[in-house]
Formats: sequence, structure tokens, C-alpha cells
Amino acid sequence: MTEAPILIVGGGPAGASAAATLAEAGLPVLLVEQRDQLGGAIHRQPANGAGNHVWRPARHRRNWAALTARLRACAGMIEIRTQTVFLGVDGEGRFLFDDRRAGRVFASRPRAAIVAVGAVETIRPFPGWELPGVMTAGGAQVLLKETGRPPEGPILIAGSGPLLPALAAQLARAGNPPVAVLERGRPWRRPATLARLALAGGPMGEAAAYAAALALARVPYRGGAVVTRAEPDGAGLTVGMRIGADERVLRVRHLLIHDGIEPNRVGIPLPAPEAAVPVLLAGDGREALGADAALLDGRRAALQLLARLGAGAAELAGLESRLERARRVQAALAQALRSEPVEPAPETLICRCEGRSYADLQALDGDASAREIRLMGRFGLGACQGRFCGPMIAALRGRPVPAASPPRWPLRPVSVAALARLSTDETE
Amino acid sequence: MSGHFFWSGMPVAFLPGETIAAALLRAGIADLGRPDGHLPGGRVFCGIGACQGCVVAVEDAAPVESCLTPAQEGLRLGPLPATGAGHD
Repeated sequence: MTEAPILIVGGGPAGASAAATLAEAGLPVLLVEQRDQLGGAIHRQPANGAGNHVWRPARHRRNWAALTARLRACAGMIEIRTQTVFLGVDGEGRFLFDDRRAGRVFASRPRAAIVAVGAVETIRPFPGWELPGVMTAGGAQVLLKETGRPPEGPILIAGSGPLLPALAAQLARAGNPPVAVLERGRPWRRPATLARLALAGGPMGEAAAYAAALALARVPYRGGAVVTRAEPDGAGLTVGMRIGADERVLRVRHLLIHDGIEPNRVGIPLPAPEAAVPVLLAGDGREALGADAALLDGRRAALQLLARLGAGAAELAGLESRLERARRVQAALAQALRSEPVEPAPETLICRCEGRSYADLQALDGDASAREIRLMGRFGLGACQGRFCGPMIAALRGRPVPAASPPRWPLRPVSVAALARLSTDETE
Repeated sequence: MSGHFFWSGMPVAFLPGETIAAALLRAGIADLGRPDGHLPGGRVFCGIGACQGCVVAVEDAAPVESCLTPAQEGLRLGPLPATGAGHD
């Protein structure tokens, strides 16, 4: 029997960086990715037929080109399985995957695992966020990278964070500038935090390039501005907004929302770096620090694993200090864009999967446990397993909702037919 | 070379390598159906397979997230059936 591989879940920057580092050290790697190509959301590649690349910082292109060259150079050590969805870890410690191309589930007992499944976007809900035509800014950006085409018709971008102007600039360069960008925070009122952001090494050049693209396309960027509701209107949406003290209404085709990112932890195994089969988290799925940090964090996880398996880890201290710098940039950004929470209207949907509203949440005891919120409130019981309503409820209650522990599989719906065709790497 | 799949019986064109979601949206299909009057219907939302809002039914196969799944010639797709939805 050959040596069991190190399993890496997720082929974004963190997973790919971990895979290259381990393979270069001579360890066999099994790299599993849910999409048909590696890259993650940040390095999403154009679909085969689309030749046009979306405008993005050259640094990201260079980083990904360098990383894919490293993966190619040690291709013999890395088995890559694409279109394969991670389902979780079963009661016997087996990692389960749904191979969507083969229509079968397979089980793996790796020597160790690094889980690098990235982040999910957070949303601050308002009545109508659940409608068709409302998409996350990150989801729209992934689509833009794949197709090279912006969505047709008027676009409004709203929420908070650096992704808003970045996506607006990319849409403008691709030929359909948004009608406006509504930023919940008021960064211009916090010059001290903006200065701290620049001093912390924030990507100010990148921000300036986006600002220039927005100015050129005459896209207004409004601070202290929030969407208050959206309603269906023919093929589009009527969107109500508050900009400072003004209330306005706009008709658009697409409303792109985003209020930051959080590690994607729902159903993900808990980190256990000292276990017999060590499990480590890496990248935005461990701590949401962005794409540049994810490259470092994937390498860090790989080096930690190598140290645990008896190889050296001389570089770790240097990586830690660079990650600490990324942490300071994120903290300064959050401070610059900070805004007071707004209580949603009672009819606002919180759990889209189960159709549960803010009024339903309020009907529960203020100190309801996570179990009560799930079983009595039916929040987070639906298909998304609380990936979206969980952070919303945490923000509204001012404290995190503890996850089901231990994590249960499957963390994605899987067909019984695929399960019935289960194959395992134990039967040789 | 492009191909076609079917959404509720209607042909939808796709480009090579494109996801089902990208093709549906390009065809102007944003509303992926309403299983019943109680729950909101399907739609593409997060683009990374997390929200499950864009899961579509596939004839003779398991439902898939349209944002993750490459379109294929001749696929017959439609709104997710209401089975299992609604608990009241």
C-alpha cells in the first residue's frame, strides 16, 4: 500500500499554496476542489470560451501564475480532483466527498488534512434581500470573472467594505458601471483611521486605482448610505434607500449586496493539529484576512504540518509577522468603515431557506440557546445550514450563535444514489 | 462552439465551460422558480455553492448548485420540486 496522502480541501490560494509547499517537501497530496478549475473566488478563471479577462490588480495575476507554476513543477506528487464537493467527516473519521462528475461518494482516510474552504459573505438583511435579482457582490464578481461580461441593465451596489468599490470599478471597466455605490460606513469622517490604514500597509494604490475608475465612469460613492427595502418591479427591483437623512427610491435590474466576509465554518471539522490524523484550517476559512494573507496562511499550515510530521519549520516566524500585518490592515479597515447596527423591520426575512422572519426570531426568548433557535425557531435548519442567517442572528443578538458540535455531515445535499455508490480508499 | 440545455422545457444557450447559473442569467432568467407560496423561490445569490439558493432539479439525476456546475448539452433542468419544503 502506498503512503496515505495529505488531504487538502479547497483549491483557492490557501489550499493551492499548502499543496505546493507539501509536495515540494516530498509528501503526496490529494487536493480536492468543488469547481472544475482551481483558483477559488479570487482567482476564478474565465470559462473556456471567454477570452476577455476582467481588470484586476496585476499582483493577484502574478501570485496565481507563480503558484500554478509550482503546482505544475511537482504535479507527480499532487492528485487533483475537481468538481468534487466536501461533505464532512463521518463518525469513523473518514472524509467524505461527492464526486459530481462520477456521481459517486468517496471516503478518504488521509494522513492529515488541511481544510481551506474560504469565506462566506455576510449580509445585513432588509425586506426584499431574498428576491431574485439580489445577489452578493462576491457572487457577482465571480460571475464577472468567469464570463467577462457584466450583467445587463442598471446595477446598484450596497453594503460595506472594500469589495464594493473594487467590483464597481471592474463593472465600469467591463462596460456597465453601477448607478451608485452605497457604503454603510462613513470612511471620510474617520481620517485618523484612514491614515492608520495607509500606515499599516493597506492597499492604498489599489484603492486609488478603483477610485479613479469610478470617477472616470461618474459612479457616485456615497457614505452613510443604506438600502432599506427592495420590491419586485417587472423584470427589475424598486430599491428604497437612505443616504444620510434623505430617503430615495431607484429602479434597478440588479442589486448587489455585501457586508464583509466570515470564515466558512458550517459543518467544517474543528481544528485538531495534535490529533493522530491532524486537521488544520487555512486561509479565509480560518481567519478572513484576504487573498494575499491566504497564500501565506496556506504555507503556514503546510509548514506546521511538516513540523508535526517531523520536518523543519524555520520560516514560520516570518510568516506569522506578515500575517499580523494583514490582521492590522483588516482591523484598520473595519474601524474606518464601522457603522451602528440597524434593527430590521419585523417582516424582514432572516432565514431564507425556511422562510423565517425577524418577527419569528423576536418571538423566541432573548437568551434562547443555539439549539432552541434551530429547533423551535427553525433558523439555520434549511439547505444552507445557517451559513447566512447564522452571522445575521449573531449580529442582531450581539453574540455568536454556537454551532452544532461536533459538526455533522453531509454539509451539502447529496443524492442517495451517489451515496449508494460509495467507494473508499481503504479497500485495496 | 456553444450548446443548449433546457430550462422548464425552454432552450437556453451556453458557451463552453460556462456554468448553468451564468447561462440562465445571460438569458434573463433570474427567478429560478417558486416551489410553493410559503418560501421564497430559487435564485443565484452567493456564487460559491454556500447559500444553496440556486440549486436546480436535473432530470434523471441529483439536483445541483447551478453556480458550481458546468452546463452540458441537452440537460433538462427546472425549479426544485417542493418536496420537503414547508413545515407548518
